[in-house]
Amino acid sequence: MGKIRIFVDSSDELGGQQYKYIAEKSVEDLGLGGSIDSIDMLIRVEEPVFIIVIRYKEVTGKSTLGDASYIDSRKNGIRITLSSEIFLGDALKALWSKYGRDRVEQIGRLEIFVSGADPEEVKGIRLSEKGYDLESRINELATRIIPEGFRVRNSLKKRGMITIIASEDPIKESWRELAARLEGDSHA
Amino acid sequence: MLKYLLFEGGLYKHERILEFLEDVGGFLVQKTVVGLDLIMNLAVPEEENERLSAIVSELKGKLTPAPLIGTEIGVVAPTLSRHHLPHPACDIAENLRRHGAKTNIIGLSRGVGQKIVHTTMKEKELIEEHDIAVFTLGNFEKCLMKKTKLFSEIEVPVIVTGGPLMKSIPGAEAYVGGIGRYPERARTGESIEKLREVSRVAGEVVEQRRREMDLDPLIVDPIIVKAEIERQVPESTEALSPNPVTLKIDGVRVKLPYDDYKDKIGGIIIGDKKLSDFALIKRSLMRNYILVKVLPKSMF
Repeated sequence: MGKIRIFVDSSDELGGQQYKYIAEKSVEDLGLGGSIDSIDMLIRVEEPVFIIVIRYKEVTGKSTLGDASYIDSRKNGIRITLSSEIFLGDALKALWSKYGRDRVEQIGRLEIFVSGADPEEVKGIRLSEKGYDLESRINELATRIIPEGFRVRNSLKKRGMITIIASEDPIKESWRELAARLEGDSHA
Repeated sequence: MLKYLLFEGGLYKHERILEFLEDVGGFLVQKTVVGLDLIMNLAVPEEENERLSAIVSELKGKLTPAPLIGTEIGVVAPTLSRHHLPHPACDIAENLRRHGAKTNIIGLSRGVGQKIVHTTMKEKELIEEHDIAVFTLGNFEKCLMKKTKLFSEIEVPVIVTGGPLMKSIPGAEAYVGGIGRYPERARTGESIEKLREVSRVAGEVVEQRRREMDLDPLIVDPIIVKAEIERQVPESTEALSPNPVTLKIDGVRVKLPYDDYKDKIGGIIIGDKKLSDFALIKRSLMRNYILVKVLPKSMF
């Protein structure tokens, strides 16, 4: 797991430091440590505006059961051996919805037996929409960090990056410029 | 004057303390049994303190002064969202309870922001049902200064906690800095020390309020009202709410439905008077409970 870079530029220094701590703990709470590259925050309490830029690794692939497990045919069905326990919940959910609970049996910690299923068909089953899932968790992270009173929000999504400008007033053009500059800085 | 003490020790022979309290005119405010451990909130006449200490040391227990016993404190968070709860509001409330207070957590509907922030009349009344209010605010000094209108009109003493290390904040009795918005349970020695400081400051505020009340004392000490309610209306001790007859500085909160029990509570005889003759009995905004406020002697 790479180290997450968290940068805060705040007009209130002590409050800014606290937000760094809040960001660290929120990442930890949501289990996003491996997916986030950097979090940059710009806080100007007197305006008031709070800008946050989160850069994250977009997850692609590994979304089908075939990618996440080894599948072999047995007499009455197939045996699925998962490569990691983290796929277990999603795999069971997907198999149950396709074959019903009667035909799916978990026979070991990583092994699932499905009676009367076709291996090729099982390989193509999607575990979950991982990409979408990560994005919603990144949004959740931003919402947890941004002070609750800053309810007027403007968000901008680019590939692997989300920028949110939050304030109590309508978003000003100058804040968009600040956000763009912060996005540029977060590249460095 | 009664002195409030917290006893921590074992169940073994604790009846000796209860007998002593009965003999000297002290009171048991609350008793909590956890396995073989026992925590008791006691009220003892000041002059009997030494004799009680002797009994407690014989029983190998621990006795600590706890001015927060017999107080009901409202811990007010700006909202009920995850930004402000459970940390730090619950940490502060827990520490206050460790020092003997009964706490209620209140989440405001619009306690956030610099512009929309305000307390409604109903919220103000609800907060004023408590003896003290502790407001848990955020990390930025500028924001805190704009939020003083949350508590400036509240008539009970207010303690404010926040991130900035200021000495005081306008409109509040006291301010404790270094406890702003934080996202995990207070675990470090430093943060727990801050929580203790809130309890210590609350204790000082309570003692100050009790001293002021001594100038014009209540007709009957609320602790006697509590004991009589529990004796004459046994249903009050059977209510499922925690601490069904909660002791407050100037009265009690009885956790029974107002409409069904107001006459029964008002009709309780203490000395040769009915409770309703020397106390205000009103409906609480909290779940229709009954609030009893004992009047001071100057009112008669």
